[in-house]
Amino acid sequence: MDFLVIDRVSKSFGKLQVLAGCSLGVPRGTVLTLLGPSGCGKTTLLRSIAGFVQPDAGRVLVDGQDISDLAPNQRQVGYVFQNYALFPHLTVADNIAYGLKVRRRPSSEIARRVAQALELVDLGPYGARHPAQLSGGQQQRVAIARALVLEPTVLLLDEPFNALDAQLRMTMQIELRKLIERVGITSIFVTHDQLEAMTLSDNVAVMRSGAIEQFGPPLEIYDRPQTPYVASFIGRANLIAGRSEGGVFAGSQPVRSGVADGDATLVVRPENIAIETGDGPGWPGSIGFATALGPTVEYEIDCGWKEPLRAVVPRDYGRGTIPARTAVRAVIVDPQAAIVLPGARHDGH
Amino acid sequence: MATETTLLRAVGRWRHPLTSGGLAPALPAVLYLFIFMVLPIGTLLLFGFVNIERGRIVDGSFTLQPMIAALNDSLVWRLMWRSFWVAVVSTVLTLFLAYPLAYVYGELRGIWRTVVLVAIISPLLTSALVRAYAWLVILGGRRGIVNQALLSTGIIDEPLRLLNTDLAVLIGMTQIHLPFMILPLLAVLAERDKRLEEASLNLGASRTRTFFKVTVPMSMPAIIAGLALVFAVSYTNFIVPQLLGGGSYSTLAVQVYEQTIVVLDWTRGAVLATLLLGTCFLFVFLIVSVGGRLTRWSEARP
Amino acid sequence: MTRKRRSMAWIDRLGMAALVAVTAFTLLLLVAPSLIVIAISFEPRAYISFPPSGFTLRWYQAVLENRQLMDSVVVSLRTAALVMLICLLIGVPAAFASVRGRFPGKATLNAFLLSPQMMPGMVIGIASLFFGAYVAFRASNTMLVLSLSVFCLPFVIRITMARLAGLDPRLDEASANLGAGPLETFARVTMPQLAPAMLAAAAFTFIEAFDNVTVALFTSDVRGRPLPVELYYLVQFDSSPVIAAISSLEIILSFLVMLVIARTVGLDRLGR
Repeated sequence: MDFLVIDRVSKSFGKLQVLAGCSLGVPRGTVLTLLGPSGCGKTTLLRSIAGFVQPDAGRVLVDGQDISDLAPNQRQVGYVFQNYALFPHLTVADNIAYGLKVRRRPSSEIARRVAQALELVDLGPYGARHPAQLSGGQQQRVAIARALVLEPTVLLLDEPFNALDAQLRMTMQIELRKLIERVGITSIFVTHDQLEAMTLSDNVAVMRSGAIEQFGPPLEIYDRPQTPYVASFIGRANLIAGRSEGGVFAGSQPVRSGVADGDATLVVRPENIAIETGDGPGWPGSIGFATALGPTVEYEIDCGWKEPLRAVVPRDYGRGTIPARTAVRAVIVDPQAAIVLPGARHDGH
Repeated sequence: MATETTLLRAVGRWRHPLTSGGLAPALPAVLYLFIFMVLPIGTLLLFGFVNIERGRIVDGSFTLQPMIAALNDSLVWRLMWRSFWVAVVSTVLTLFLAYPLAYVYGELRGIWRTVVLVAIISPLLTSALVRAYAWLVILGGRRGIVNQALLSTGIIDEPLRLLNTDLAVLIGMTQIHLPFMILPLLAVLAERDKRLEEASLNLGASRTRTFFKVTVPMSMPAIIAGLALVFAVSYTNFIVPQLLGGGSYSTLAVQVYEQTIVVLDWTRGAVLATLLLGTCFLFVFLIVSVGGRLTRWSEARP
Repeated sequence: MTRKRRSMAWIDRLGMAALVAVTAFTLLLLVAPSLIVIAISFEPRAYISFPPSGFTLRWYQAVLENRQLMDSVVVSLRTAALVMLICLLIGVPAAFASVRGRFPGKATLNAFLLSPQMMPGMVIGIASLFFGAYVAFRASNTMLVLSLSVFCLPFVIRITMARLAGLDPRLDEASANLGAGPLETFARVTMPQLAPAMLAAAAFTFIEAFDNVTVALFTSDVRGRPLPVELYYLVQFDSSPVIAAISSLEIILSFLVMLVIARTVGLDRLGR
């Protein structure tokens, strides 16, 4: 059984339903990311695990124990806040020692464990400083140390990299991932940044409007999205409306479809589209907007559909960018990598 | 860790002390104010409509007579008028003196800000007596500072009669109430969005025009608040008119004091106090209402 | 460097000159009276003179030797201390209910708690006097303390509310997450953050109660006048620099209080 289980948790604030029957399981020692846009309920779900929010229905179980009725100060889960929530009137060392003092540990033990925690996050000489004197990255490490010093079995982090600038963010993500692996603790991140989700996690739960749309390892969600929303949220996707008949998505580039007959959506990643000129198979169209991204070039191809087709191709150092209004054919490189989903709605984007 | 969890019992909703969302912590204060403010004010209003003898109410003597007598008394109206125009003039003067200082404060940094703050707040923390005394000393007769200076330099031969005049009262009121006008303006002007002024300059307006067309209107809510506050304390001030206006100088507030403490006619004191308070609320209400019209733009629409 | 100063329109020059002139005048107007009073207190001759013709501390000595004045100082100190205590005791919890409470009518409660601010001190004074008479309670130090507490209560409540509202609720959550119960969170997290504001509120209330004339003139007893009331009567017939001396002492006291406020919540917070 999974180490942490969320069982049909629902929560409404007044008339607004924020969580609608969420269920998921987190295996021991893995990292899960709750991914979704603002308002999808991911932070509320995290706070429900910590006990700051009482669900209207459902249970939260840790290591087989139902902790749903426990007050937040009884739950023994580590929590790192988005703004770190360090106590401004205490030093770094006192911040880290806080939970130990509350548990009335002897001062020698407190000193030892605090020193260890500082070493763990590489902030050894900063114990006597106050949070206001530290940089954002340092504050985050103090927050992590403060949570980990209590040796919780679960670590919850609410958009921990939001307050950091882009450069620092990437470094800290990798540092944190290494730290978590070293300590071996089951962790749940909340983020709206899909790149972060891909970098950090063993599993990703894509959330929408209070429910979990898809759960699985990052690459699986990328390669095999189960809804157009998930397809658009992770990576970029071309969503092409059409029909599935007899196990095939009909059109000039038929794709094998496991979907029943009827309206269907074809999901093709931009990097899975090649641009060719002259006669041949593929969707005819003309080049619209082109953006040189460095190693790749992104083209918008106007095929006469509602939205342009996007293709990302490696830079052709010889020929340069294809000029606008050139007549081209958009060809699916690997039909196996294209996904057919039931329904014709364009969700997300 | 897991075993500790099983041993702990559920507490239910997490409650924070001194709140639990409750009203309980405020009860002592509410009770206190009820006993020592509401009831006394009620008594004050009541005393205006009964006969008082030796500090006790004469039974069954509810009467509108004292109030009607006061309303018919032209002296009362004259005093009220004096209270009113002195308050208005000194309030407006205070505004004109306070605004530039508050504005300049916004441009200052570091130690200069502290210096200005000390200059503003220090008088605030001394008693009204000390401040009125200072003006007694400055505006006094032969021994007054101003007169001494003018006499010794030969500019005048006889000391000017500065005390015991409307002028003295106006000067005293204006200076003493300056901090009350400056502080609200200070707060607003120091934290204002200077980019609006930058936009104005960028669009070609001069600094002076920007000041009058952007800065001042933007701070109108604070101006109205300051005007209301300073008017109220000026209108009800009896110390300054009494000390700086002299024995024969009186305003409505001064009359309230005299009737209550000197003449010991408590009924009349209560009536005048009721009139004073009532008209004060009325004028403040008017200031705020008119001001509200001028600041419609600052109200957020739901 | 030569192009640093763009030429200003004449209207701007005029405006700026006017601004600086008025500001300077206002600043002078604010501080000059206090400075003059302090200067006069050193005048050796028995009448007001500025600038002082010499330097002497005899008036300060006269203050210390004046039994009535010193008694009134003691009365004022005692009164201010009691008022401070009462206001803290009932005001701080009230602020908690105002900020963190969730009950219908909270806005009404707030308005009620802050309503004494809308009353002129004189009205509170007379009302207390009349009410006291009504319940057969004479003007006395007790009435003085009780009435001044009404007058000063909003100061404590406002300062505490401002600080309380500015506290990060996430800190309380963090404290709970780390294992502290509600009471422990209050003691370890809320109170330490609140302490400076409470200190400032205490200092401000103290000096307001110490300085007050408008309420005290009505509710103090002849036999135990606080300092400002004593000065009120003194000023009307004594023209020696004695009053300047005691006033200077009051000014020094105000500086001490300002120091406390500056060190705790900062002087600029008094405007809000």
